[in-house]
Amino acid sequence: MESKIMKPVLAVYVGLFILFLYGPFIVLGIISFQQGPEGGPQFPIIEWSTYWYRHLFGMVPPSRIAPLPVGDALIRSLTLAFMTMVTATVLGVMAAQAFRKHFRGASVVFYLIVLGMMVPGVLTGLGISLLSNNVIGIDRNWWSTAFVAHVVYTFPFAFLVMLAILNRFDASVEEASWSLGVSPITTFRKVTFPLIFPGVLSAMLFAFTLSFDEFPRTLFASGRDQTLPLAIYGTFSVEIHPNIFAFGVLTTLFSFALLAVYGILMALSVRRAKRMAMQEDIA
Amino acid sequence: MSAPSTNRQKSHSFQLLAPGVVWMILFLVAPIMMIVYVSFWTQTTFAINPTLTLDSWRNFFSSDAYVGALWTTIRLWLIVLTLTFLIGYPAALFVGLLVKSKTVATVLLVLCVIPFWTSFLIRVLAWRPMLGREGAINILLQKAGLIDSPIEVLLFSELSVIIGMTQIYVVFMVGPIAFMLGRIDRNIIEAARDLGAGFGRIFWKIIFPLSLPGVVVGAIFVSVMVLGEFATSGALSGRKVNLLGNIIVTQVGTLKWAMASVAGVVLTILLGIVVAGFLRIVDLKREI
Amino acid sequence: MTRSDPIFRLDGITRSYGPLVALDHIDFTAENNSYIALLGPSGSGKTSLLRVIAGFEKPDSGRIWFQGRDITDLPAHERGIGFVFQNFALFPHLTIFENIAFGLRNGPVKVTEAEITERVRANIEMVGLSGLEDRSPDQISGGQKQRVALARSLVMQPKLVLLDEPLGALDANLRERMQTELRAIRERLNVTFLHVTGSETEALAMGDKVAVLDQGRIIQYGTPDEIYDSPNSSDVALFLNRYNLFDGKLQNGTFRGSFGAVSVPAVRANERDVYAVRYDRTQIFDTETAALPGPALPARFLASEYLGSSIIFLFETADHKTVEVDHHLSFGEPREMTVGQDYILSWDPEQAIVFGKEMAR
Repeated sequence: MESKIMKPVLAVYVGLFILFLYGPFIVLGIISFQQGPEGGPQFPIIEWSTYWYRHLFGMVPPSRIAPLPVGDALIRSLTLAFMTMVTATVLGVMAAQAFRKHFRGASVVFYLIVLGMMVPGVLTGLGISLLSNNVIGIDRNWWSTAFVAHVVYTFPFAFLVMLAILNRFDASVEEASWSLGVSPITTFRKVTFPLIFPGVLSAMLFAFTLSFDEFPRTLFASGRDQTLPLAIYGTFSVEIHPNIFAFGVLTTLFSFALLAVYGILMALSVRRAKRMAMQEDIA
Repeated sequence: MSAPSTNRQKSHSFQLLAPGVVWMILFLVAPIMMIVYVSFWTQTTFAINPTLTLDSWRNFFSSDAYVGALWTTIRLWLIVLTLTFLIGYPAALFVGLLVKSKTVATVLLVLCVIPFWTSFLIRVLAWRPMLGREGAINILLQKAGLIDSPIEVLLFSELSVIIGMTQIYVVFMVGPIAFMLGRIDRNIIEAARDLGAGFGRIFWKIIFPLSLPGVVVGAIFVSVMVLGEFATSGALSGRKVNLLGNIIVTQVGTLKWAMASVAGVVLTILLGIVVAGFLRIVDLKREI
Repeated sequence: MTRSDPIFRLDGITRSYGPLVALDHIDFTAENNSYIALLGPSGSGKTSLLRVIAGFEKPDSGRIWFQGRDITDLPAHERGIGFVFQNFALFPHLTIFENIAFGLRNGPVKVTEAEITERVRANIEMVGLSGLEDRSPDQISGGQKQRVALARSLVMQPKLVLLDEPLGALDANLRERMQTELRAIRERLNVTFLHVTGSETEALAMGDKVAVLDQGRIIQYGTPDEIYDSPNSSDVALFLNRYNLFDGKLQNGTFRGSFGAVSVPAVRANERDVYAVRYDRTQIFDTETAALPGPALPARFLASEYLGSSIIFLFETADHKTVEVDHHLSFGEPREMTVGQDYILSWDPEQAIVFGKEMAR
């Protein structure tokens, strides 16, 4: 009886909760259409305009507000995220594959890998910069020190995703392939990999987005050349303008585009499976 | 006799694991060891040298600013942890247990995750026009006639940091709890209800204990992230709130590597205690 | 090779999982070009044995010889031994045609596209799947999957195919049809089938030879007739599910059991004293009957079960042991009996098989 009151109350609560999660984001979206260049990052909206979006692409006459230094940073971030994605996914698939057989010290190795996502970025970043600066004596760069830090962070995610996928994988198809005279390497390429591909895709998505948005590790471990989150962080200390909000809206849209690509790839492989399942029912 | 073949299998596993393990040892374990080691190095104005000393440790614990940062970190962590739990649990209860349809539950969870597709820093920054003097909240409150003049403490204060962190991290609490609640066998609850137990009793005797592993996992997530924070406090407090993470950032910025390392070690120990403490409450291996 | 040459030989094969010994020093020689059924209850180690021969698992000790070559240390894909899985293990992402072509396409030997097409078509036709080439494995029935799994293996022209309970996942109807087909296909191809099964009817019906596996050891190997007519231990008799087994005590050529004392002409070595009478050699008499062919065992009639060509009558003795009597209908109509009433069971002592400890010593 009490739960009859409970449910609607909680439903309203969840509505407010979601508003809490989205509130700042909505405000950000609104203010990105602030008038420019005089309009600041606050209410009220003086006049609706797309000024700050044009400002991002240098399509407005120069003003006292410098354009966001995001061009090169964006390319660096995309490159870094791609490098991280490939490395973390390869390492994750390999490690998860090894975990299919029981071996001694498995739990130690498991925790060692998972530690990578549990240790705060500020510590990984500090440690790596200490190591490179004061011991090895090499310069820090986004493509070297920051890259290894990103992999330390994303490899555990890829590993866990692949572990979950491989746990449900029926090994007899691999054995069937071996018994047909097909070598384990070809078997992996022709049988195992196509079957675990949806998992690989998820691992890649995880690694890419985590790396693309990674900030604390990058702050310490990258050198002079900034990645996108660092460029955004740079605007924190100086006065902020609605252009950063416009940029936020655009990156979010980019994320959704990425998500859509992932969704389409996933749907294609799921639809195949579904179509088969349906015909199974008919037959 | 079969030794060669078993060895071949073993070396196969070894080859698959070696790259990942070496990577983690070189770029995770070694760096953390390095932090501990460097915390005992001697700091000169712009450089450090590997002469071992306790100076930085002494400086850390004799400085009000540093020890204060430690307490601020602990205080903020406790507040944010409590808030994420209090705010997150009812939402998780609804999503994980009360919603009958799996589709609705999934849609609600996806709704919670979508904000993560915006850059973390921009999500933090978005609180500024929300909380500022001329921010959305002040305007709404004034329009509603609830206040006469804008509330100043909303932005650039500890409060704004707490609000920001709670909003960003609450989802990490909702997820694991909703997952554990979703696994509860509804028949148990029905049976308890048939026996005449009220919702309160059912909640405290059945639902809450069964969701505890989720709470612990969520608490570990939130703790690890909040304790290592520095960006939210930097962006929303106007440098008024300094956490251990902020100390590390500023010390590295001025090339005070030894002091940054001391703060790093303190943070590591704090994290270790917190995570170990949570793991004592619930044996995760057995629950999952 | 002639039929009597061994296709493979196991030499002291041992495999244990922790404290559990799955295979215990197995010595076994299999004739070429034959159908061998490997019968064993679950947990007898029969699947382990198959996996060790296939190379999916390594024996702890012992050697495996295949076509005169020691293959113990050879990985599975270099052995040239076919394997048919109980769950079929078809490649779900490939069509039926590509499933069958898989080994030809991806194996170590380059096969021309024309030859692949020809061999795959021939095999598809042999197993009766023509027209289904472009289907995916999820679009065909269990029996069809079984044929694909078989064709996929046979297209590689192996000399030995291991079948792990291949009929286990099929329904009873299909199972009988596949039994005939499997035998027919094997005979056409000059290949040895080693067929693992837990069903004694299947083993006896299909094998040219039957090996009985128990607790990691092969306890009897022979033709189905040999096994059926003269099990060499009480365990084999038990697995065959065709014998009433009575515990008792054997002393100086006399067996004492619930049916009294019987003098025993011949005894086979065994771990326990057991008296075995085949279901179809056990006869039913009224309690007053004076002229019995042998010992008298009083038993209460419980139920009967009609099996088409015969009827099984179930009895319970005073010590709560169930005794079965198989009456073949070709011997005429069975007698009328009342459930719950007592009868006397008897048999010709010459037809009983007696196992005894005395001989083991």
